[in-house]
Amino acid sequence: MAAHAETPSRGGTLTVGLSNDSKTYDPIFSVQYSERYVLYLAFDTLVKYGPDFSIRPELAESWETSPDGKRIVFTLREGVSFQDGTPFDAAAVKWNIDQRLDEKVNSPQRQVLAPIVASVDVVDSRHVAFNLVTPSPVLFSLLGERTGFMVSPTAWQQRGPVFGTQPVGTGAFILKEWTRGTRVVLERNPNYWQKALPYLDRIIVQDLAGSVIGVQRLLTGEIDYVDQLTPSDVLPIETRPGIVLKPITVGRWYFLQWHVNQPPFDNARLRQAFAHAIDRDRLNEITMRGQGTISDGPTPPGLWWYDPMLKSYPHDPARAKALLAEAGHPDGLEFVLSTPQVSVFQQISQLLQEQLGAVGIRLTLQPVAASEWYARVVSGATNLTPTRWTQRADPDGLLYILFHSTGFANTMKYKNEQVDALLEQARTIYDVARRRQLYAEAQRQIVADLPMAPLLFGAEYAALRASVNGFAWVPDQIPRFRDVWKSG
Amino acid sequence: MLRLIVRRVLLMLATAIAISALLFFTVTQLLGSPAEMMLGQDASPQAVAALNAAYGFDRPAASQYLHWLGGALSGDLGRSYTTQQSVAAAIAERIPVTLELTLWSIALAVIAAVVCNTIPVARGVLQPAVTVANLVGITVPNFMLGVSLIFVLSVKLNLLPSTGWVPWSDGIGVHLQHMIMPVLTLSAYYFGAFSIVYRAEYANVVQRPFIRVAQAKGLSDWRVAFRHAAPNAVLPVITFVGVSIGQLTGGAVVTETIFSMPGTGRLFVAAIEARDFPVMLAMGMLIVVGVVVMNLLADIGYAIANPQIRHGS
Amino acid sequence: MTRPGRWIGAGLVAAIAIVAIAAPLLAPQDPYASGTDMLALPSTAHRLGTDDLGRDVLSRVIYGAQASLAIGFGAALVAMLIGVPVGLVAGTLRGVIDVALAAVIDLFIALPGLVLALIITVMVAPSLRNLILVLGFVMWPPIARLVRGQALAIREMLFVEAARATGGTPLWIIRHHVWPGVLPVVAAQFATSVSFAIFTSASLSFLGLGIPPPAADWGGMVRSGYDYLAINPWMSLAPGAAVSLTVMGFYVIGRSFR
Repeated sequence: MAAHAETPSRGGTLTVGLSNDSKTYDPIFSVQYSERYVLYLAFDTLVKYGPDFSIRPELAESWETSPDGKRIVFTLREGVSFQDGTPFDAAAVKWNIDQRLDEKVNSPQRQVLAPIVASVDVVDSRHVAFNLVTPSPVLFSLLGERTGFMVSPTAWQQRGPVFGTQPVGTGAFILKEWTRGTRVVLERNPNYWQKALPYLDRIIVQDLAGSVIGVQRLLTGEIDYVDQLTPSDVLPIETRPGIVLKPITVGRWYFLQWHVNQPPFDNARLRQAFAHAIDRDRLNEITMRGQGTISDGPTPPGLWWYDPMLKSYPHDPARAKALLAEAGHPDGLEFVLSTPQVSVFQQISQLLQEQLGAVGIRLTLQPVAASEWYARVVSGATNLTPTRWTQRADPDGLLYILFHSTGFANTMKYKNEQVDALLEQARTIYDVARRRQLYAEAQRQIVADLPMAPLLFGAEYAALRASVNGFAWVPDQIPRFRDVWKSG
Repeated sequence: MLRLIVRRVLLMLATAIAISALLFFTVTQLLGSPAEMMLGQDASPQAVAALNAAYGFDRPAASQYLHWLGGALSGDLGRSYTTQQSVAAAIAERIPVTLELTLWSIALAVIAAVVCNTIPVARGVLQPAVTVANLVGITVPNFMLGVSLIFVLSVKLNLLPSTGWVPWSDGIGVHLQHMIMPVLTLSAYYFGAFSIVYRAEYANVVQRPFIRVAQAKGLSDWRVAFRHAAPNAVLPVITFVGVSIGQLTGGAVVTETIFSMPGTGRLFVAAIEARDFPVMLAMGMLIVVGVVVMNLLADIGYAIANPQIRHGS
Repeated sequence: MTRPGRWIGAGLVAAIAIVAIAAPLLAPQDPYASGTDMLALPSTAHRLGTDDLGRDVLSRVIYGAQASLAIGFGAALVAMLIGVPVGLVAGTLRGVIDVALAAVIDLFIALPGLVLALIITVMVAPSLRNLILVLGFVMWPPIARLVRGQALAIREMLFVEAARATGGTPLWIIRHHVWPGVLPVVAAQFATSVSFAIFTSASLSFLGLGIPPPAADWGGMVRSGYDYLAINPWMSLAPGAAVSLTVMGFYVIGRSFR
């Protein structure tokens, strides 16, 4: 759809359909995926992401990094206040970061923030300084998402545990009502610091049991927006007048993971056999209708740390069988593949079963309830499972937590000292070209080691009614509705 | 009569407690601590130990159970592991939805069963059709019925919405429109089941002398059927209605799932899948209590309605 | 139940049984082979179209009969193996044992079967064997109650009194008097139990708790097809119809014996 030079019209309600797994709208404790849909409405972050993950000003107008890289002073926007009237200033920023660093508060963000930020001090009401443990470009990407949501200190301290249901931020919308299992209602913040925004009067986040129901409700006009649609889901509405499809720009990374620190997957040949047996083209063709991208490594095309030269093990069933024999299993062997009960994972798992079965690796599929699945991966109960991750704004975001030996999401138990060193070095330099080199080397090593078999980058869509304008994807796949307006 | 009621109530309490204990021990022993489950894909594994301590998962099972029971008896059913919401509040939010679905469905089923099997025409010429309808109702699984209705009425004809619940505040008409398919789906089975019971009893009733008298008096078929036969034939259905409502306390699991209704059935299934103990236990208790209470009420209702028992024959 | 009813039921059951046994011969394609023509509408190659992995829906529906019948018969058998002895003991022995057993039976009967099955299924690994055991465990109380009632009725008959008076042991009485009276009732109940087992297991599969994929399992197929109703509705409607017809067939036979 071509961009119009129309003036946005004011007013109206945007109804968003979402499979809502939110537990709290307190950014300091937020963990669930869908919480961010509402967080980006009720709160603002210090910095925001551009459509290419570049860092742009938001509540912070500008920043200056000290020569040694260990002190960053942010200049805050003037005239901003929280929805309860509390002024937004450096003290508020300091309070927010201190809460996240505070052991007693026990925010899930502490473990990511503490290795980077030593302390925060107030220079004056408009300037706040971050004193870093080491130079860290990663800080900026963190301040564009959960860690960067600025909470009203007054309201948080006053409301205590119910803050999560009655949040107060500086955002364009105020949360008015949250009926769990049904909907969330947000209303326009008349005192928003961006005078022209928001255009909408109200946003309703309607609970959906699944994205397919969302498509049906979109067609009847009950909702205006639904996302997380697979290429199959959008088949019936591809050419429907009045419906617009917006494909995501950067896809989720799907891979098959296992425990590399113990038998049987500690055997490199076995892992390579798996990798050669998998036909990623066919996975893409069937589960994504060919609209996804083959994954050769953790990074998709479109991000600055993508390496087009990186290739993973190609589809070669004969080689797979040979490697299997070399690994000591000429007659094949059996495994249990844990599968979360989400359609795309079930499809991938069944296809993997077919492909691995063709070389003698017999998989028994074990469906696990979606809510339970990741917990079992974390606890180590699950050895072999497909999984997926959305991209982060900084390469350190995903690569460190997954592949550094101390990464908290490293459920593959992968440990490579060279990779560790590369990742540690790359997260303390600001020079993009040098970082790109280091990450290229790290990813090469990771792909060669095979702590996981990369599969593909997913294709997903948001479907909107044509009356919805101003929507554009950010590569973290969380929709931003602040700039949206409804025509007609 | 009173002694019977008291005995039943005591039995009910004892059963509820026994079942809750059984459920608690099997669930906790077989499934282990849900601590990791409560932390999502972005959370820290170190928090697991802290969580275990905070929730008391590291205490012995018996002590955990007594702690829960004490809370339950004073009205505190704990907090859901998945949503942190008070379990009592979560259930209270959802009961009206399930209750509404249940009452509409049972009412429709009873009325349809009685009417279809009483109307002289239906009993005569249309008998095979009614028989088939009963059969379809009782054997076609309600997920199939629901999915078929959605396909025809939502997907193809775009007549009705495919979800079952919008709040009353969105408009009475809209609300009822969303309820049509779920109610049809759920009532089908009960229509079949009630019909079978009703027809059997009806066949007995029409053989009694007072019916012959009524017919001999020249009363029309309709009058005989509705004013004389039906009120007697419906008695066992009343008991059945009570039992059915009791069973639906746990929610109409499949119907609520297909139509995405925020009722107790879906809450229960979600809790089971997520090993959300407080919700599971509370729902388990609720179901047992509901079943026993409704059974008791049904028996009392039958006793009151049945003149033979009432007057002690 | 009228005579035509019995024949229709028998016909349905026989048809399903034939389909289950002759599945490899009847199915036009491999039910597990994925293909790149996903969610296609019916064609000559795929009479009911394909599913989300490009597999032939018709072949999967045909093979689904195997799992359904296995579960139906298996669960009914397990239920009989538990319920009949329990009912016999309760009905013949009377006294404290009977009261206790009767209370347990009544309680289990009152609970909704699906809920009970749900709770137990979720605690065990999903597999064909476990599903059969769980359903059998859920279904035995009604059978026990039926058998107990029958046994009680027979007990009251004079010749049994006579046998007891002349010193017959409970076991002898069961074997020679109670069992022959109970047997026809039990046989009739078997068909109804098969019907219930298939019905409930399909519901469990629909909720995601059935036999794991890639099994061609009717309830599971309805579940996965639900997302694609607007694209290839046969993915859901065909297995759903299959379940309905099978449940109906067994149910009609069971009722015809009353």
